Amino acid sequence: MTRNRSIILAPAVALGSYSLLLFHAFSSLGEFGSYRKNVVRQMVRVGVDSLPIVALAAAFSGAVTTVQTAYQLVSPFIPKSIIGAIVVPSMILELGAVVTGFILAGRVGARIAAELGTMRVTEQIDALEAMGLNSIGYLIVPRVIAGVVMFPVLYIAASFIGIAGGLFVGHAGGFVPAGEFIDGAREFFQPFDPVFGLIKSFVFGFIITSISCFKGYNTLGGAEGVGLATTQAAVISCVYILIADLALAATLL
Amino acid sequence: MKHSNELKVGLSIITAAIIFILGVRFFEDLPLFETTYTLETEFDNAAGLIAGNVVRVNGVGVGSIDDVYINPENNRVRVRFHVDREVPVRQGSHTVVSGFDALGVVRMDVVLGSADSAKVPVGGFIPSREQADLLGSLSEKAPVLIDRMDGALAQLTSVLETTRSMLDDPDGDARQALASMRGSVGTLDAMLRAERDRISSILEEVDGITSGLNRAMGPDGDSLAATVANMNAVMARLDQTLLTLDATASGVNELLDKVNRGEGTIGLLVNDPGLYHRTDSLLGSLDALLVDFRANPGRYLKEMRLVDLF
Repeated sequence: MTRNRSIILAPAVALGSYSLLLFHAFSSLGEFGSYRKNVVRQMVRVGVDSLPIVALAAAFSGAVTTVQTAYQLVSPFIPKSIIGAIVVPSMILELGAVVTGFILAGRVGARIAAELGTMRVTEQIDALEAMGLNSIGYLIVPRVIAGVVMFPVLYIAASFIGIAGGLFVGHAGGFVPAGEFIDGAREFFQPFDPVFGLIKSFVFGFIITSISCFKGYNTLGGAEGVGLATTQAAVISCVYILIADLALAATLL
Repeated sequence: MKHSNELKVGLSIITAAIIFILGVRFFEDLPLFETTYTLETEFDNAAGLIAGNVVRVNGVGVGSIDDVYINPENNRVRVRFHVDREVPVRQGSHTVVSGFDALGVVRMDVVLGSADSAKVPVGGFIPSREQADLLGSLSEKAPVLIDRMDGALAQLTSVLETTRSMLDDPDGDARQALASMRGSVGTLDAMLRAERDRISSILEEVDGITSGLNRAMGPDGDSLAATVANMNAVMARLDQTLLTLDATASGVNELLDKVNRGEGTIGLLVNDPGLYHRTDSLLGSLDALLVDFRANPGRYLKEMRLVDLF
């Protein structure tokens, strides 16, 4: 394999091995019973343990969106309820999922990659294989399932807390009374918006956990390789969150 | 107490599901728990109405639109919506689409029927009326307007006919009034013809006066103002003078009253004819004396000399 060829074909090779890894992982779903405990443990680590940081980020992004929208609405002809009509859909459609996605790419993605990478370089994965366990099924599937299940939970929490933060800051800061905020949000509410947000959060959860597992599982070298895998897992997850965000908005909205 | 991982995961998923469902219902303006009932209506034109729009009764939001679709049976727009259970939608109610699609605030108003008719059952149908926009209200009122205009035109016609009959009658007042007016106009015309030169010269003079006045008022507006101020002062003084004059006049009046009543010297003088007679006779004697004096001055001069000597 020449260097030139590898530069051109590297993305295709990476996509291929990523797909094969996932295929192997989900073809072992039949053994789900043997790693049920592991799934629950990962759900707690991915979901429940991430709630505080996600809530904090969501509350502040909702509050900042409210203040900035109020700052930008200078025309006396625009009713203040428009602030609610902007903040709530922004939170539900975009910020709730994307802010959560970025935080989890850093918090969860890096950890998964570091865990699996360390297991790889310390040959624990080989040990699992030697014990006759399906290492891909045992290590990857619980994490991806945990991401796909818990990410929507975190998205709902983020949206709820973000809207509440925006509402509170709007009311307490004197930008818009709570009643007007909710009236505006109701006036322009589309029932599909939260459904779209849920779809996004499923996709983001899958992207973060699967990319991080792929990067961690295929770590090469020693401690340096683990560091590289961790960085790549976080960065590539963020990039693919943005790409998926645009792709979903373009196709579903 | 240490909770198991299963409990944590289960609780967070359940909480999220509850928040999601209640949140969506909240922002869809659905009550959080089932206390609404569904109704249906049909429009020729939904004017941009979509699911999620507010349903209002007398301007109060009481529910929202669930679904808007074309009814394949009659190609009209079928709208399914729900309202709060407390709202008494009775037979005889109707729906109207209102608001402006261009501003994105379309809603549906339900105009309630009378309070004594039966309630519309759940899933029941309410008829609609046309959108009450400007054109709609205008066309609603158009028949009334046309009726009124018709009446006004009929009255106008009768008035015109009366006038014509009045004018047609050769002995009628109107006819005679017109004839005399015509005569007057003829006289006026002749007069104007005769006096044309004078009138034109009068007009020229007026013109001159006006232009003079214009000159006075134009650039020297100040002097006119000063004049007016002076005039004001003069008027004030004149006013004062007139007050004094008034007092004087009343004094004179009083005096003349006294005189008339014959009081005082002048009164006696005026009212006593004896004085006149005496004066008259005195003057007669004086006349005789002077005649005598002219005729025989010596008789008197002698005594005058005596007087001179003293």
